[in-house]
Amino acid sequence: MLLEGRKISKRFGGVQALSEVDFHVEAGSITALIGPNGAGKTTLFNIVAGAIKPSSGQTVFEGREITGLPADEICRRGIARTFQIVRPFATMTCLENVLVAAVNRHPGRPRAALEAGARDLLAQVGLADLAGQEARHLNVVQKKLLELARALATEPRLLLLDEVLGGLNTQEILQAVEQIRRLRDRAGITILWIEHVMGAIMQAADRVIVLDQGRVLTAATPREVVSDPRVIRAYLGE
Amino acid sequence: MISSSKWIGPAVLAGMCLLPLPLGIYPQHVLIVSLFYVMMAASWNLLAGYTGQVSFGHAAMAGIGAYTSGILAAKAGVNPWVGVAAGTLLAALLGLGLGALCLKMGGIYLSLTTLAFSQILHIIIVNEYEVTRGTMGLQVPGLTAEYSKLTYYYILLAATVLVLFILYRMIHSNLGLSFRAVQNDETAARAVGVRVLHLRVLAFTVASAMAGFAGGLYGHYLLLITPEIPSLDLQFYVLAMTVIGGMGSFVGPIVGAFAINILAEKIRDYGEYHVLVFGLIALVVARFAPEGLTGVWRSLGRRRTP
Repeated sequence: MLLEGRKISKRFGGVQALSEVDFHVEAGSITALIGPNGAGKTTLFNIVAGAIKPSSGQTVFEGREITGLPADEICRRGIARTFQIVRPFATMTCLENVLVAAVNRHPGRPRAALEAGARDLLAQVGLADLAGQEARHLNVVQKKLLELARALATEPRLLLLDEVLGGLNTQEILQAVEQIRRLRDRAGITILWIEHVMGAIMQAADRVIVLDQGRVLTAATPREVVSDPRVIRAYLGE
Repeated sequence: MISSSKWIGPAVLAGMCLLPLPLGIYPQHVLIVSLFYVMMAASWNLLAGYTGQVSFGHAAMAGIGAYTSGILAAKAGVNPWVGVAAGTLLAALLGLGLGALCLKMGGIYLSLTTLAFSQILHIIIVNEYEVTRGTMGLQVPGLTAEYSKLTYYYILLAATVLVLFILYRMIHSNLGLSFRAVQNDETAARAVGVRVLHLRVLAFTVASAMAGFAGGLYGHYLLLITPEIPSLDLQFYVLAMTVIGGMGSFVGPIVGAFAINILAEKIRDYGEYHVLVFGLIALVVARFAPEGLTGVWRSLGRRRTP
């Protein structure tokens, strides 16, 4: 078990965003996190990644508790993320965007070596030609790819993907799913993935965690989940 | 552009070395003061421009440098150079402390805390008459046995080059990449492992040391240290220079410091109204050219070469 959440609760003022969420992610898996809007998916991500602290509960990564650690420390422990609404470093070039992550992973390493690695990553996501381009000039899809390359440059063992397929066309979705699979198969990166595109989840995910109104509704294989009447009810309403 | 950029630094430096030679005492004085402001604005830019910490305590740090060195020299006969080093060190330590204190504060809270620091220091200096001579000002010895504007010009120029060199190296190093990431998006920077808190304290310490250094030298140039150095007037002057020149760019504060200080001399005849003029200029720039003069220059260049 790579990541485990124990009784995680989060309250924002009067809103109970998460209540006693228990979940786990197996090492080497592609685990999807789904649920209707407002179910608490991104809140759970933010807690795992250290962007916000839970009101109560614990997160455990590789057997060590990481609850409440600052985001940069959690990144150094091996968890990287992308953002639902892309957040590239707008006035920096694509290469520099990736380089920042690499430099903070290996502070002592010479720039030339880090730059070579960063260019490799850009090539992997298909942005090699845009290395010198400032990130603000990219389109949304390119920005998402850049965020992926940037996250990979931190050399994560667990990658949190937050709706990376939003805004992509069918062709691009197929490519992206293929890419995510390759990350797991070739680089051995475990993936926890928030997604609304069910087709992609059916194809790629080993396990699906369903959140509804801040609680875990079920956690099972994609096939079991789509035929679960509780899940259908959660999505369609009573 | 890229091939010529290598020559810009040395060419400007050579020009700056020759610049005061044909000039009279008064323009030399204006240049020396401008150099002090370049150091102040460039180092403040590291805080406000690169790490988003709008500190109002920067002039106070210059005051720490000036008064530390001045008091040591005037009261204990310490060599002014040693005094400047001591002032730089003390400003660095206070910067470290203030930076750590403001660590988890953002935006307005940090500004208010540094503002309070600045005002407390100002009150202490004005009231501790025995030590500081209050608003009368403290007479201090010069840096050299013989007083010559030209010598001071070259000392301040060398100091400015040193400060700019350190800032340039920082901004263009791995550290600088992280600075720029924080400047762009703090949340995303943290998410890729940037130690934002470390960076902020580091920026505070380095910028404060530079302000202390600049203030120490400036005090020994003026020969009379008054509470006008650690004043909000001077602080807002530095702020206006940085904003008008272009916050978050390396060249911006340098251009801003020269432009504003020279302009200030030109419109001095209007008395207190010259402050009003700067207010208006800063407003117009903030509204229509948020990247400052250097931003305007860059976008003109872009238009010429589409």
